[in-house]
Parts: sequence; C-alpha cells; structure tokens
Amino acid sequence: MAAEMAIVKPIVGKFGCSSTTTAPTPGVVILGGRRNPRTSNAAMKIRMSSAATDTSAPPPPRPAKKAAKQGINETLLTPRFYTTDFDEMETLFNTEINKNLNQAEFEALLQEFKTDYNQTHFVRNKEFKEAADKLQGPLRQIFVEFLERSCTAEFSGFLLYKELGRRLKKTNPVVAEIFSLMSRDEARHAGFLNKGLSDFNLALDLGFLTKARKYTFFKPKFIFYATYLSEKIGYWRYITIYRHLKANPEYQCYPIFKYFENWCQDENRHGDFFSALMKAQPQFLNDWKAKLWARFFCLSVYVTMYLNDCQRTAFYEGIGLNTKEFDMHVIIETNRTTARIFPAVPDVENPEFKMRLDRMVEINQKLVAAGEGEDIALVKNLKRIPLVAALASELLATYLMKPIESGSVDIAEFEPQLVY
Amino acid sequence: MSASTALNLGYLGSKIVNVPTHNSQKPLLLHGTPNRPLKLINSNFSWRTTMAPVKTSVTAAAAVESSSDPSKKQESERKKYYFVVANAKFMLDEEEHFKEQLYERQRLYGEREKEQDFWLVIEPKFLDKFPDITKRLKRPAVALVSTNGPWITFMKLRLDRVLQESYEADSLEEALASNPVTLEFEKPDKWAAPYPKYEFGWWEPFLPPGSKTASV
Repeated sequence: MAAEMAIVKPIVGKFGCSSTTTAPTPGVVILGGRRNPRTSNAAMKIRMSSAATDTSAPPPPRPAKKAAKQGINETLLTPRFYTTDFDEMETLFNTEINKNLNQAEFEALLQEFKTDYNQTHFVRNKEFKEAADKLQGPLRQIFVEFLERSCTAEFSGFLLYKELGRRLKKTNPVVAEIFSLMSRDEARHAGFLNKGLSDFNLALDLGFLTKARKYTFFKPKFIFYATYLSEKIGYWRYITIYRHLKANPEYQCYPIFKYFENWCQDENRHGDFFSALMKAQPQFLNDWKAKLWARFFCLSVYVTMYLNDCQRTAFYEGIGLNTKEFDMHVIIETNRTTARIFPAVPDVENPEFKMRLDRMVEINQKLVAAGEGEDIALVKNLKRIPLVAALASELLATYLMKPIESGSVDIAEFEPQLVY
Repeated sequence: MSASTALNLGYLGSKIVNVPTHNSQKPLLLHGTPNRPLKLINSNFSWRTTMAPVKTSVTAAAAVESSSDPSKKQESERKKYYFVVANAKFMLDEEEHFKEQLYERQRLYGEREKEQDFWLVIEPKFLDKFPDITKRLKRPAVALVSTNGPWITFMKLRLDRVLQESYEADSLEEALASNPVTLEFEKPDKWAAPYPKYEFGWWEPFLPPGSKTASV
C-alpha cells in the first residue's frame, strides 16, 4: 500500500526562507512551484504522491480543475472520509420518537464541550519553522507524510461532524450542538497541522480534498463504532507520543508534539460523546450481532494501524520509539478503554494476538513487494492471490480468538457482580 | 427543549420513586440512606434543578422563605455536592487519563480565574450515608466531588466503573470531611508503556484545603 496521496500547494514561508534547496526526498515528488516560490501567489493546487515519479512540466497558473480530474490514489490503509445515512441519524436522535434518550448525559457533554478547554491552546511560535528547517533527508519526508495523514484524518472528522451538526439541529438541538462543537475542535486541529505543513512549504488543499476524496459510507451504527475507536485510539497515540517525548526530550525534533497533551484531551472527549450516543441506542450494544460487529471494528482498526505503522517505522524510530512496542501499547490501552462501552472486545493481551499481527505484517510486506516488482499486471495479480488469501485467513483466525465480554456498567449484565 | 426535558424527568421519575430531588425544605436533615437500587447510579437528574426553569423557581422560593427566618439562616449555605466514587487504586493509580483531566480543568480554572469547585476526597465521611454504595466498594475509596452536577455526570460517563450519587452539606468542610488512611499501590508487574507512570501523589493539589495524604 505504497501510494499516499495529498494535495499540496507551494507557499512562501513566513520568514521568506521557502526557497529551500533540499532535493525532494525519494518518493515525494513535488510538482513545480518549489523552485520558484513566488508563483505561490497564484495559489496553485498541485498533486503530490509518494508513488508518482514523473516530474511533468511546471504547472499552469490554475491547474486546479485538471488536478481534480486526476483523482486520488487511495488504498485500504489511507485515512478515510466517512459519510452516513443522515435521515436515519435524524430518526435515531429525534427526541419526539425516542423519549427515553438520556438527555442528562448529552447536556453534561454539551457543557463540557462549551467549556472549550483548548480555546487558546493552538498558538504557534517560531520554533516550528526552525525545527522544520533542521529536519532533512528521509525524516523530512516522513514528517511531511505524518502531517498530511493527520491533517486529512482531522479534516475528515470536521466534515462529518459539521454535517451531522447541521442535520440534527431540528430533531435534537443538544446532540446537534455537540457535533458542531466537535467540528470546531477538528477544524482547529486540521488547521494547526496544515500550518505545520507550511513550515515545510506545503499546504493541503482542503477544499479540493473535500470534493475529490471518495467517501466511505457507513450506516450510523457503524459510524459510531468506527468514530468511537478512531477518537480513542487517537487519544492513546497522541498521549503516548507526548509522554514518551517528555521523558526523552532528546527526540523532540518538531514542536507540534508539545501540543499533544492538551490536544488529545479533545479526542478523548469526542470518544466519550460517541459512547453516550451508543448508550442512547442500546440496540447497537446489547445483542450477539453487536458483539460480532464490535470485535470486527476493533480488529480492523488495530490491524490497520499496525500494518500502517510497520510500513513507517522510520517515523517512530525518528522520535525514539520502537514501532511495534508503541503500537501494542496503544492497542492494549485503547482496547481497555473500549471495553467500557463495546459489548465484546478482542483479547489483545493474549500473546497469540501479537503473534498473528506480526505474521500479517510479514504477509503485507510481501504483498507490497509483489506490487512493486517489474512484472506485468497479470503476473502481479497472480502473485498477490495466495498472499491475500494468507492475510485473510490470518485475520479470520485473529477474529475467532476467544473475545472478552465487556461493556458499560450502565448496560452490562455483569454489573451486579462488579466491585467498584 | 423544555418540553422534552419535562418528558425525560417524568420518565425517570416514574422509574425512581425515592430520589429526593429537593431537600431544601428540610435543611437540617441530610437525606438519609438512599435505598434505591444501585442500578440507577446513572440517574442523576437532580442537577436539573439548576437547569430546568420550573425547578429553579422552586429552589428560589425555598431560599427566600428560609432567609426570612433567622433561625434557619444556615439553610442558604446548604449546598448540593455531586460525586463519583470507586476504589483508590482505580481512581489514583490505574486511570491515568483521569489525572490529565483534573490538571486540564485546574489549568482552565486558573486561566479563567474561576474558583475551584471540584476535589478528590480519600475515604470520605459522607460515604456512611450510602450503605448501598459502600457494600460494593473496595477500600480505601476515593471520591471525586463537585458542586457542578453536569460535570460529575460527564465524569461518570468517562470513568464508567464508578458509582454516582449526590448529597447536601452545610459547609465545604463538612462536605469534604475524610477519615485518615494510608495509601499504597503495588508497582505494576509489567510496565509496557514507553514512558514513566505519573508520580505517586499527583492528586495532592486536589485534596480538600487543609488535608494531606498520609503517603508511603
């Protein structure tokens, strides 16, 4: 899954030092603009892909439409843009239809989001540009990719929450307002990351991204599972990086990480809101189907992250982390958190789980290699078949491992036996 | 909005018969043992008294009445405290995000010059009023107490494995009184995180004024 995609436009750095002479690192090819930063005023929208190798002619002044037609190279592992059945959402949270929605919990959340803990947190300083200039070679490219992926992920949250905030206004103003406040947070995060990209003389063209990206459709039930997990795993990734760098400041090579402690509290709260949404719809949590889906979503999110990160070990090693240890820590903690709401979770602390993940990494590496070889397409596909089958069977075996029964104490059957 | 709120109150009210939403009329009696089933820990809706307009007016009326009678002067000081409680190990040692939340809130209160309205109470005396809670609680216990009801509801949502209730007290001192206890947490067998654990005693800034943990 090599190809990463981003839309970039070259911009002039604040301190006028954008005419960096660094050759683009292997894999990242920046089309035009860079050599002549003054063209930036034309706000060129340019496609950048780590898979692209051709440097075509310098772009015309307004190639935006052309770029849109080129489409975006997405893979199974790229950050997703979600969309959902908004009508069903409206029905689910219609206070007239569902008179037993726990509005107390939603009103408590609304107060918490209105508090706006991070109103003044995302303020940059000159450290950013200086640190970016110091990052050279392969690490520079990896940082750019990290910023792009993170920005895309935050931005996709912004789009979804914004729309939900708009759509639910009439049927459930409290839930709608929370969605709007969460989209405020996501916009802030995405903007901050995008400013980070400006330190590298790049910027994601979010408007273009909005139009050109494919959206993954999920029914509301699945949106809850997926977004809950992505918020909580986001919290655990950010806090782990933050605390690791606090303990090992020699790896603090870019100041954005210093913002992670406050930042990830937003992610954690967003996750709490999805928890409340699911509790308000207990039919999504309390039957055997829910248990199967809960395990499935946990597994897909954990496996995706593990495979993704194992392809980017240079990033984690660059900030002094062991990729697999970092990921396992994040998976275990996310799973413990998730067990407070999902009715069943995979037993990630069983050594068999990690063993299977590591096998999937090996297979995935072979898959990537098969795609990169010089064979013709047909041969490549033939080579892929057994690998895909191996990956699928490994996934299935992991899925079938004995799960852990879990859930919120407000719902779970084991609650009466619990000692607090 | 207010219509649906009323409906919710009605719904909950029909389920929970014995919740004292209003005790201001009997200020000198702390409401006795809540003998409602513990399953209803999540049913804290009495904080709505501050939110639903109808209820607020009742509170105001009670306050006026009491202040006119000098013998009941204390009444106006009487405040409602909301809490979540669980064993100390869970609250102070295992849930590290909890520490982050409290520091975040403390930072915010500092920035906005807001008076502190949340505390951590180790082995609180008020637990004696809640036998249904104490019989399910490992000791020593730690409670997060606040006068901000919705925030405690939020904290219940976050921590999940905690019990939630509320009580009234005449003074902060009375509300946050605790029994002395020594806290000791065993070191985790395997610490796999790529960072050190938060330090023992991180909770001290949140203890009630004047109290100190007997720490080991």
